[in-house]
Amino acid sequence: MTHPFLIFGWLKEELHLHVGEHVLYTWLVMLILIILALLASRSIKQVPSGLQNLMEVVVEGISNLAEETMGSKGKAYFPLVATLALFILVSNLIALIPGFAPPTANLNTNAALALTVFAMTHLVGLKEHGIKYLKHFMGPIWWLAPLIFVIEIVGHLARPLSLSLRLFGNMYGHEIVLMIFLSLVPFLLPVPMMLMGVLVAFIQTFVFTLLAMIYIAGALEEAH
Amino acid sequence: MGEDRRQLIRSLGFLSSVGISLVAACLIGLALGYYLDKWLDTTPWMTLTWLGIGIIAGFRNVYILTQRELRRQKQEDDQDNNES
Repeated sequence: MTHPFLIFGWLKEELHLHVGEHVLYTWLVMLILIILALLASRSIKQVPSGLQNLMEVVVEGISNLAEETMGSKGKAYFPLVATLALFILVSNLIALIPGFAPPTANLNTNAALALTVFAMTHLVGLKEHGIKYLKHFMGPIWWLAPLIFVIEIVGHLARPLSLSLRLFGNMYGHEIVLMIFLSLVPFLLPVPMMLMGVLVAFIQTFVFTLLAMIYIAGALEEAH
Repeated sequence: MGEDRRQLIRSLGFLSSVGISLVAACLIGLALGYYLDKWLDTTPWMTLTWLGIGIIAGFRNVYILTQRELRRQKQEDDQDNNES
């Protein structure tokens, strides 16, 4: 890609692996998350310290946000939301280490995440309301129902597209800007861009999880 | 101050993301219409109708998202007022 050197890109060439670099980086992120979770939960203490403390703060923050956005009913979907948040956050932040590219800078990873959210919202809606879930798509006036139905379907199809494109655009755009600055003036000038990268990583994680929660909450509530 | 700053970043992230949901719905409508036209050989009617539907859906998406955010903000303001 645009990177001068990627550790996993090099590894892929050496080992003749036929998977994309973003898949390898996704596996790395998964590995990091699994190891972190195992380490944090290995010796749980009443008074947390160190790693357990950090993870508790993170999980509690996401949990509060989930309860605030989805209400008490949404508590059941907290694991999905927290997984999305942690995965995207680590994926975005991994770009700050030289030689690593964020898997979220590839549209395929984001499409997988967004389609998961898309499928999940409708499954949640069907589970919660049964066949009455279709009323969500009908609108209040019965003779307008066919038109509203079509509009709603298009609106719902737009959700995974906008979710994946937003994350992809932000991460990939930041990568390219960084690389261009690096090739123009490799000294000090990319630093503000890198700072912005940290901000973008957090904001995009937040936006993705918030929208996922808003969509799930929308499927949970009663038809208007 | 800290709470204000957190709120600001939250709204910033949220509102900056509203625009793309409008564009995405328009694009979905356009793509649907374009391929239906190709399939049914009815250029340009399907493209136009589905683009119109896509634009309406986009505005509806923006409306739903903003309404929800406004409601949440109002709720939070009420909470703050009750506490102080």
